Order: sequence, then structure tokens, then C-alpha cells
Amino acid sequence: MKFDIILTGVGGEGVLTSGVVIARAAALERYYVRGVQPHGLAQRGGAISTCIRFGSKEEVSSPETMQANADLVIAFEPLEAVRAVHYARKQKTHFVINKHPYVPVYADLLNLPYPKMNKIIKIIKPFAKKIHVFNAYNLAKKKFGKIIFGNMILIGYCFGLGLIPLKKRSMLESIKITAPRELEENLKSFDLGLEAGKKSIKV
Amino acid sequence: MGKKRRNANISKMKTEVSERPGKKIALLGNEAIARGVLETGVGVATGYPGTPSSEVLMVLSLLAKKLGFYFEYSTNEKVAFETAAGAAFSGVRAIVSMKHFGLNVAIDSVIPVAYTGVRAGLVIFVADDPGAWSSVQSEQDTRYYARMASIPMIEPSNPQECLDFTKEAFKLSEEFKIPVFLRTTTKISHSIGTVKLGKIKRIKMYGKFKKNSDDYYNFRPHLQVLHDRLNKKLEQVERKYGQKLNKIFPGKGRIGIIASGVSFEYVKESIKELKISPPIAKIGLSYPISKKFLKEFLKDKRVIFVVEELEPIIEESVKKIAKEVDPSVVIHGKDLLPRSGDYDLGKVILALEKLFGKKLGVNLVEHRKNVEKVLKDLPPRKPVFCPGCSYRSTFYAVKKIFGDAVYAGDIGCYMMGAFEPFKMQDFIISMGGGIGVAHGITRVSDQDVVVFIGDSTFFHAGMSGLLNYKFNNERAPLIIVLDNGITAMTGHQPHPGSNFTGAGEKVEPVRIEEIAKALGAEVRVASAFNQKELLEALKELKKIKGPKVLVSKGECRLLTIRKLRRKCIAIPKFQINEEKCKNFEQTLKEFSCPAIIKIKKRGKTIYKIDPDLCWGCGVCKQILPKGAVELKGEEKK
Repeated sequence: MKFDIILTGVGGEGVLTSGVVIARAAALERYYVRGVQPHGLAQRGGAISTCIRFGSKEEVSSPETMQANADLVIAFEPLEAVRAVHYARKQKTHFVINKHPYVPVYADLLNLPYPKMNKIIKIIKPFAKKIHVFNAYNLAKKKFGKIIFGNMILIGYCFGLGLIPLKKRSMLESIKITAPRELEENLKSFDLGLEAGKKSIKV
Repeated sequence: MGKKRRNANISKMKTEVSERPGKKIALLGNEAIARGVLETGVGVATGYPGTPSSEVLMVLSLLAKKLGFYFEYSTNEKVAFETAAGAAFSGVRAIVSMKHFGLNVAIDSVIPVAYTGVRAGLVIFVADDPGAWSSVQSEQDTRYYARMASIPMIEPSNPQECLDFTKEAFKLSEEFKIPVFLRTTTKISHSIGTVKLGKIKRIKMYGKFKKNSDDYYNFRPHLQVLHDRLNKKLEQVERKYGQKLNKIFPGKGRIGIIASGVSFEYVKESIKELKISPPIAKIGLSYPISKKFLKEFLKDKRVIFVVEELEPIIEESVKKIAKEVDPSVVIHGKDLLPRSGDYDLGKVILALEKLFGKKLGVNLVEHRKNVEKVLKDLPPRKPVFCPGCSYRSTFYAVKKIFGDAVYAGDIGCYMMGAFEPFKMQDFIISMGGGIGVAHGITRVSDQDVVVFIGDSTFFHAGMSGLLNYKFNNERAPLIIVLDNGITAMTGHQPHPGSNFTGAGEKVEPVRIEEIAKALGAEVRVASAFNQKELLEALKELKKIKGPKVLVSKGECRLLTIRKLRRKCIAIPKFQINEEKCKNFEQTLKEFSCPAIIKIKKRGKTIYKIDPDLCWGCGVCKQILPKGAVELKGEEKK
């Protein structure tokens, strides 16, 4: 077995930390874990992505997911979801997109308009088995008054959809190790997302 | 040097990296190296930060006090190496850490220490960056340094090996009394992997330098004695550790693959994907390469494929040895894979498809074409200055005064100034390189030249260049030292201008303006968040003929925000007054703050400040007409 997750977004959103949460949860379940954070010059505001992969030691060894081979893309930002199609293919890849665009300053400076949400979905469609759109930041803002907890809500949402093949117990344990500051809010965020995810399956 | 931060995860690293023995956890390659250092037990750890190496030092800096070893962020890699060497000369185990370009700075001192040898383990950790994820200078292959310096080089492939090989490196170093390179690349250092932990050791830190030793008598003709001794050591290392650190994975067929570093991980997974099982030789000791090991592997092979990123170093060794073993063996390497950039699973699979005449279920070439098609017209998200960055404000002011002068760049967050709308890093050579190259330009051209350099970079390699202005250049370029108080880009490591050391001791900060004065420059200091102050200082300095320096002071906003949040102090938030939203376009384009967003509303273009992104520097209020921007209130908590 091997499972490949791509997390992508904008520097400062907690993309790397969220990846570490999943990686550690998988390690707690004794999976062999690999992954990579090939971050470059991305300051707060630059594009950032990370791969997390786990499975049996015989099958998983590369730190980076192969092109067209991700099981799940978690996009914290819609435009960055598009850039992740590199890792995705129709037969396999689920996309979960946080509907909270950050328009890069270069859209204006280089006169390349930021695509509308329906255009984004249209571009991704040929590379996706299914696309799930959700506004985790709205929920975070509503519940906590700030968007920073949106990342754990988003991870919880993916989990609620049944897209992360790990146990809830290990996810919570991993959050405890990885995000000890404001732990209560982080755990609550995960649960909020989880419930929202479950609900959206039923609909 | 050419770098990126990852400070937010420090508290996590601290808890994880110091976990108990026997536990299996997911660690970054660099964290695993730090753990390997702790399991070996060192007395001294030094270095200069630089992506992708920085996390090793970050972890060690946090644990130094608790575990009782000496830690320092040195002013540059050469000093860091010398400090570690001094400890190893005195019988205390030491590690020094740097990125590949850092080794260029240190190398002058490194080579002689191979001759003198050491009294305790000395490991030089170097991280290369194929693909230049976080470097701008070159795609240098550090493995050549091992050959030039006659220093053994060990290369792990994954985080578990990062831990294990760090311990091996110290063992080798102590057994042969020789410094050892531990080399990784970005996709090892920044890769995550399951690691089984061993026991952390504490060792005593006190040593003694033994005087009157022949080891340090490197005058001729004794220098040749030391040189011969070094060569003998290498022969022994090749015999002993060539067997220990290299490994053959048996398989079927007469096509063999030789790989090292992260390439081995790609090969291992690729052959599973392609359902082939060729024999593989994994090289863990990349210098000296074991001839015996390669000969054994080559014996019954018809074809060999060497998979290594960057230069064909192993490939050349294999070709040489094949001539002795069997000249009819066909050797592939750089004919199937590129010499530039980093590799990935896809690239290795495509090469193996060709070599083995096999096909993966998915057509990667076609996939890539489809991807390129859809990504073509999307706006890029290149790196930008953070919202509230003091550098944006400084660049904005400098452009107002100096227009299209020649702008010498350097290594640090100011590299973001290379992109639109500033485009004010006309060249970037190396740490401190801007000052020297700018001097050369003014000797032959009468253009205005302005040099940007950061605070940490100024301490690292800027001072001697400035002194040269005083000595040799009456028409010196203006140097702007962007002083944000910290080594921001690599994750907020302290430097001599900070008020604390790497191990967390309080110290008196060194003032850049005082150094610049002492080196013969006319100096002005301005607040980076105050446009008026900046513009006035720049105008004054423009008139001065000799060496001149502007120290533009403004704390790294990331750091300020972190401090404010920790103390539960509110962050000011600004908002744009829609009514006065006329003719902003040009100004805001030139300023390009990511927190200011352009929206079309009822056919009109209006601007808004995203309260989630604004970090309250207030500079937009200064550059827009009066009343256009106002303080909105404050972020909660």
C-alpha cells in the first residue's frame, strides 16, 4: 500500500505544518513515512507545497510524489490547486480546495488575471476524480474570529470526507505533538472540519 | 545564503528530536542529522545558516544548553569551521554546518586541516541544492571539494541514514583522525522520513591543545610527509568504509544500476513501479570511491546505468574501472539524465523505461504536456516581500531617488527585489559580492551604482569590501545596509547585531553604523518604516563622493508580529478610504504590498486592505495622499 498527499497553498497559511501533522499521524500508525518540503524563496505570500506519502517500506521510498500519482491534493488556495495538477490524474486524485483566494501581486503587475472559481474547477476537472470545494477560512473566522485555525479545519474536513486513510486517534495525537500552542482551538478546529466533511458526504 | 525560513516549527523539533530511544518518528533529514549529532555526543557545534542546511543548527541551538555542549552561530562559515577545528585539535568532538556556498567561504581553512588531521571527530555537514530551490548562485556540486581537499565524503539517502551516517562520519573521523564531509541535497535535508531513534549521549566539553606536535608542522619538507600520510589514510578509508557504507542489492539480469543520495530512493521506487528487478549498487561513501566495491559489482554486467544528480562524478570513476574489468561494458549516465537541475521519480522512470524497454501504465510525457498547456496563462506566485517588510519600504524610497541606477544585489530577503515591480537586483553573485562588483563597475563606468546588503550578510562578507572603498575608491557606490536585526531568510538566527547569541545568551549588539564609520564611510541611519527619513538620508548621501553607507533600520516584520502575538499585544490594521481611491494605481503598483488588493466594484477599480494580511507597518499611509489610508483598529489578541 502507498498513499500520496500533496498539500499546497501560500507561505504563511500553515501548509508545511499541516503536512507534518499528517506525516506524524501516519508514523504513529507505524506506516513508513516519506515526504518533502522543497520550499524555495517563498516568504509569506509565495507559493508553497509539500508531499506526504506513507505505506509499506517496500513500496515507498522517494521523498516526492510521482507526477500524475497523488491520491489527494489539499489546496489551501484555489490557484495553487491548479498548479498541483502536475501531481494529479483523472482516475485517482481527489482535490479538496479551500475557497479562499489570495490574488498574487503578480496578477496585476504582469496583467495575468486571477481565474474565476468556475474556471479553476474547469481546468482541474480533467485531472481529478472528484473536486471538493469548501471554505475553511470562513468557518474559522465565524468560530474563532481568525483564519489561522482554518488549516486544521481543512485537514479535519478532508478527514471527515474519508480521504485521509488514518485513524482519528492518531490525527488528534499528532496535532497534540505538532501544534501544542493553542491546542484546544486546533483540536476543536479539526473536529469542526471533520463534522463539515461528514455532512457534505450525506448531502 | 540563498535561503528560506522555517522557524515556526522549532518548538516541535525540540520536542520531537529529543524523543526517547527506540521510538520511530517522522523527522526531516536535517532533524535526523541533528539527532545523529546528539547520539554521538559532541562538545562543540558551529555554523552559519543557509537553506537547505539550517535546521541542523536550529535544533542544536535549542538543545545546547540543556545537553551541555557549546553552540555558536559564527559570523561566517570559515570562522565556524575554524572554531570547530580548534575544538577538534584540542580533543573535543565537533560539528560544523553550512550550505554548499558556505563551503566556498570555508575551504581555505578546510584543506590544511586534512593534512594536520584532528584529535577528535570533526564532521563538516554540507547541504547542496540541485535545482536551486533556495539558492541563486549556481548548482555547485560539492562532491568535487572532497576530491580536492582529500577529505572523505559520506552521503545518506534518507532521514534514517541521515541519523546513522552522521554517527558513522564521526566514527570514521576518529578512527583515521581526519575531518569528514557529510553531504546531503535539498531533497534529503528537507525530506521527511520515519526514523528510529537511539540513545542521546553527553560528553565532556573540556579539552587541551597539545603543543609541539609534528601534526601541525606544515612547512616543507614535512608538509610532504603530512601529504603522504593523508594519502595513506584515504587508502585505508577506502578499504574499510567502502565496504561498510556502500551496499549491493542483488537482482536479476546483467543491467546494473549504481546510485547515491536521493537518486537511490528514486531508483528503488522506480523499479517497483516498472516491475523490474535489476541489481543495484548504492554508494554511501562517495569519496574515496571503493574500487574493489565497483569491480565486484561490474564483474558480470553488460550494461551499467549511473544515477547521480549534477556532475558525472561516480560515472567517471565507473568508466575508469570498467576499462580495467571489462572494456565492453556499456556505461550510461548523463546521456540518459540531465546534468542540471534535480531529479525526481518521473525523470528516473523515463530513463529506466528507455533502458529496459518497459512502459509505465501512465504516459508521463503526455501528462507533462497537458499540464504545461493548462498552466500557461496563470498568474505566477513568485516570492514577494512579506506584508509590512521593512525592505519593501526601503526599495520604494531608493527607487524614488536613484531611478534606474545600477543596483548590486546580494544574498538575503532583498533578493525579492529582483522581481517586479522593483527589479532592483541587477546581479547577485555571492555573500558580500555586490560590494566588490559594484566597485569594479564604478572604476570603468560613470553610472550611479547602489549596493544592497543585509545586516547578517554585511557581518559575514561585507566589511572587507567596504574597507576597500576607503582604500581604493574615491567615487564609491552607495551601500544600503538593510538592517532588520536578524538573519531573517533562514529562520531568524541571531548575528553580531542581534542582542542574543545562538545558544540564547544575552549580549550587547554590535552597531553596523559604527563599523561602517570605522571602515571609513560617511554614514546615515534611517528608520525603514519612515519614508521621509529615508528620502532625506538618500538625498544627502547622493551628494557625497567617497564611501557612504545608509543603514536602513526596521525589524523583520515576521519577528515583530510574532513578538506582539506572544505578548498578546494588538497588531495595528489599516484601511483604505474608498472615496479617495483615485489615481492610486501607479503608486500601489510600485509599492506592491500583498495585503492591498484590487477589486472591481460596479465597473470601478477600488483598493482594499485585507485585514488578514495587513501587518500594520503603515508605510502605505505615508505614500498615498492624505486621508486615503486610516488606522482601522486592531487585530484581536
